[in-house]
Amino acid sequence: MSKAAVKISSDLLSNPLCEQDPQFLKSMTALDTAMRRMDAFNQEKVNQIQKTVIEPLKKFSSVFPSLNMAVKRREQTLQDYKRLQSKVEKYEEKEKTGPTMVKLHQAREELRPVREDFEAKNKQLLEEMPKFYHSRIDYFQPSFEALIRAQVAYFTEMHKIFGELTEQIDQPGLTDEQRERDNEARLSELKALSIVADD
Amino acid sequence: MEPIYCTVLPGSPDELGVPPEADKTKHKQSLAIEELLSTERGYLNMIQLCAVDIRNRLKQKQLPDFDLEGLFANIDDVIDVSSKLLYQLELMDTENPQYLQALSDTFLSMRSELENTYKEYCASYSNILILEARYREREELDKAIQETITSTAPHTNATNLSFFLVMPVQRIARYQLLLQTILKNTEPSHPAYRSLQATVDSTVALNSNINEYKRLKEVADKYNKPENLTLMDKIYRINTHSIAKKTARLSQMLKHEAGFLPKTEDKEFDALEEYFLALERGVADLQDNVSTFVKHFEEFLSRRPHECELDIETEVAFRNYKELSAILHKHIYPKYMHRLKSLVLQPLCSLQELFACPQNMIRKRLHKLLDFEKIEEKRRETGSITYEEQEAANTYQAINTLLLTEMPKFNGMATQLLIRAMETFIFIQRDFAADVNHIASGYLQHLPHNKLPDYTFWSWAEGMFLKEAKSLQQISQTFEAELNPHFILPLTPSSQRRLSELTKRYKSEQIYQASSDIKGGRDMDLSLSRGELVAVIQEMDTKGDKRRWLVEAGGNRGYVPASRINPYHPTGQTASPSPAIVDEASKRHSVVVVSPAIESPVLPSLQVFAAYDFSARSIHEVSLRAGELVTVLEHHDRQGNPQWTLVEVQGQKGYVPSNYLMVVPVPGISASSRKT
Repeated sequence: MSKAAVKISSDLLSNPLCEQDPQFLKSMTALDTAMRRMDAFNQEKVNQIQKTVIEPLKKFSSVFPSLNMAVKRREQTLQDYKRLQSKVEKYEEKEKTGPTMVKLHQAREELRPVREDFEAKNKQLLEEMPKFYHSRIDYFQPSFEALIRAQVAYFTEMHKIFGELTEQIDQPGLTDEQRERDNEARLSELKALSIVADD
Repeated sequence: MEPIYCTVLPGSPDELGVPPEADKTKHKQSLAIEELLSTERGYLNMIQLCAVDIRNRLKQKQLPDFDLEGLFANIDDVIDVSSKLLYQLELMDTENPQYLQALSDTFLSMRSELENTYKEYCASYSNILILEARYREREELDKAIQETITSTAPHTNATNLSFFLVMPVQRIARYQLLLQTILKNTEPSHPAYRSLQATVDSTVALNSNINEYKRLKEVADKYNKPENLTLMDKIYRINTHSIAKKTARLSQMLKHEAGFLPKTEDKEFDALEEYFLALERGVADLQDNVSTFVKHFEEFLSRRPHECELDIETEVAFRNYKELSAILHKHIYPKYMHRLKSLVLQPLCSLQELFACPQNMIRKRLHKLLDFEKIEEKRRETGSITYEEQEAANTYQAINTLLLTEMPKFNGMATQLLIRAMETFIFIQRDFAADVNHIASGYLQHLPHNKLPDYTFWSWAEGMFLKEAKSLQQISQTFEAELNPHFILPLTPSSQRRLSELTKRYKSEQIYQASSDIKGGRDMDLSLSRGELVAVIQEMDTKGDKRRWLVEAGGNRGYVPASRINPYHPTGQTASPSPAIVDEASKRHSVVVVSPAIESPVLPSLQVFAAYDFSARSIHEVSLRAGELVTVLEHHDRQGNPQWTLVEVQGQKGYVPSNYLMVVPVPGISASSRKT
């Protein structure tokens, strides 16, 4: 957007009209300078925002893949846990014969570590996730401040620069309707010329 | 005042001593003046009738497809001028000796008004005629018109509008005749004679200007519209005449380019053309660029991050930001866009459209110039040219004149518009900046760190984020930590044997168990099955990769992924602490590394079963069937080897491998499993 603005002034500056009319050249040079300065400020604003908003955002979201992986692993563990749990229950329901007892015992042995693992993972997630979610508030607070501040800084400059430019132009005090009517009047004058067809 | 003429007898001098001839002239002069005035009155009446009454009636009828404005052109202006003229002429009494002077002065002072108004009207008159003819072809329109005329002006016996509409055209020419009559009948010695003469001359000039203008306008209208012809149309236009014409032009042009003929240079025109083209380029570029700018801005507007739900309404900076953005988007940005579009983009677009026709005319001029050159050549050589040729020459000159007179005006006015567009852009920008600033500064006041100067603020913000980056990284690591349990998988006999082999040669810390099946992919990789025991020889491979460990498994050596093997702690040996391999994760999370806790041996409230089938291979051994209840007699063999247990089963005594036995808690008593 800023680049488009610079193009506005630079194209006009390069137009041969500038050679013909020194006043035109002067005005266009002033405008071009202004546009380029605004572009520089814009760049600065972008940099600031890059550092205080975009990159922090990226870093914050980079935690999510790990988080998702942990969730997935918990899920897997849960599956294992359920599987083994149902196996134990199955054996518990069967008749208490020797082999069954043995198998039951084995199954319980298998189950226990898995259960503990699951519970560990679960606990961890339950603790860490809310903390992480909560931390975003304080984390991002500077970002929002930065956004507002950057706006203020940029537009202050813009106001100053364009304010200087407008001082060099006469008639700054017209209202918008007056300007519109003025434009219409000039256009009609042009249309009244014979070489311009009237439609 | 006594009438001048009643006492005069033909041949006798009157009281003033003026000869009778003079009287006659004077009389004629007065008559002429009266005629001027009375005809003007009549004329004014008529056109007022037409313009006001008839037009209103027609307007009321609301006829479809009826161009009232085109039909009546600028007749209102004509009426104004005529009324003014009449008013001036009637100010003074016609008998007044000063009257002639006043008359001349009036005409001279109103000269330009007259010229401009009538010029327009006359130039539009042909269009009026065309329109009228077209409308009369349509029956219902024709009838409506007739009806209106007869109802409003029955005394005129008029049957069509042009009866009225032609009057201004006739009138302006009439002035000349009327004034000439007055002049004819005025003594050269009359004090006002010179003025009157000047007036007549000016009227003559006026009429010729009007005619010239009309002609030029006709030429302009003919040539200024760029024609959008299809290919078919162009083909239809080809006939011998047009081919001849174009060939002639082409040859002329080639002669120019080749240097045979000198090009007619018209520096003045060329300068104008050059400026025109530069201007056109400037306007086109500006219009393009501003449009692009507007487009980008609109795209920017379509993103509305402040509208997303972030669930942190309580936080002050966020709230401020959200409100600020909302206001900007709702009020300030649209206002800016609107101003930009209506005050800069719109006029630029309109301006750009206006360039097309003059450009076309310039092109046509060039063509006609080529024709003209040929004709002039012919005229020089033969001394005579045909009628068409003369016409063509006239056309060229008409176009040329027209362009030379009007282009400077066009260039000037268009440049003005261009400059004004840029100026408007500038203060729209300034106002926009002021608006945003005003609101944003307001919100800035609410922010916690608003008192900090800019530089300090940015360093603080960046510092905060760098710090946070570290803790974020830590959090990531938290989640990434492998929380693999180090649980023990029950050993199969083969594993048991493996274990004994390995423990002979390696320390117990080096014994690991595969937590899942491992398929070796590369050469030197080992394949393991779940639960298999290995001994770790080196905790990295030859390239230093710590994820591949060199292990031994039953005489084979190879690499396996470190993540798939876990330290093996058979219970009953030691309540060993977590092996050093366990990462910080476990330190952080008090995860119980699942080494089954050791409890003191439990006495016979446990029952011992055979876990697997076992076939005795010697007389000292006894066979077992899985699930059989056994009684343990001794926990070691005669040599004290704890790997053999003396049991009694089914009345038989003998040794069985210790790990084939299982201690099962009898329901009601909890105890950890224990391998004996």
